[in-house]
Amino acid sequence: MIPYSAAIRIRNERSHRTQRWIIPFWLAGLLLLPAALLLLPLIILVCAIARINPFPILHAFWQIFVALKGTVVEVDDAHCFVSVEVS
Amino acid sequence: MNENRRQILEMLAAGKITADEAERLISAVEKEPSNGASEANGSDPRPKTKPKYVRVVVDDSGKGTGATKVNIRVPMQLLRSGVKLAALIPKAAQAHVNDALHEHGVQLDLSQIKPENLEELVDQLDELTVDVDDKDVKVRIFCE
Repeated sequence: MIPYSAAIRIRNERSHRTQRWIIPFWLAGLLLLPAALLLLPLIILVCAIARINPFPILHAFWQIFVALKGTVVEVDDAHCFVSVEVS
Repeated sequence: MNENRRQILEMLAAGKITADEAERLISAVEKEPSNGASEANGSDPRPKTKPKYVRVVVDDSGKGTGATKVNIRVPMQLLRSGVKLAALIPKAAQAHVNDALHEHGVQLDLSQIKPENLEELVDQLDELTVDVDDKDVKVRIFCE
């Protein structure tokens, strides 16, 4: 199953409260779609020059994105705490 | 009456063991009934579950700078997907990468690395456990 969102938690030594952001991937994709459409001709041109089939590469990147579900990265320092969880 | 108990009683009847020894043997056999039954059936009693994540846990007490803890959990599927991406490197690029590796003294040939070999390597990672225990730093890498 594809991951739905990324939960980011940040706490620094200034504020004792933990800031929590949830970023839905569909929204991030929607925001990045115009940039992707602008870069699409350039990508096709680069693949044609390098004689690379872009579809296996796109498929591999998609599989990496799907496999991100369940990834957790937490760093707890004396000064700050950062946590990223993909679910 | 299972086979082990029958053999013990036959040995007792034949006078090869005493009654106390027979009692101890029967107690020992009865303590592990599930393993015996599974061996008789020829099946593994506990099917080994494949690990899903690779965990990296770093605990740095850091007396001077303060304690630092790092906890990373990476799905095994992500490693497999990354392996597949590495397999898509064009052959022309592989030659450049090989030359660069050789210049730095790394005798590695990317063209010899097959995706199935890397898949097997990832599959064997479930046995991986790395424990580094220093005075101030503890590092653990394992699969769960």
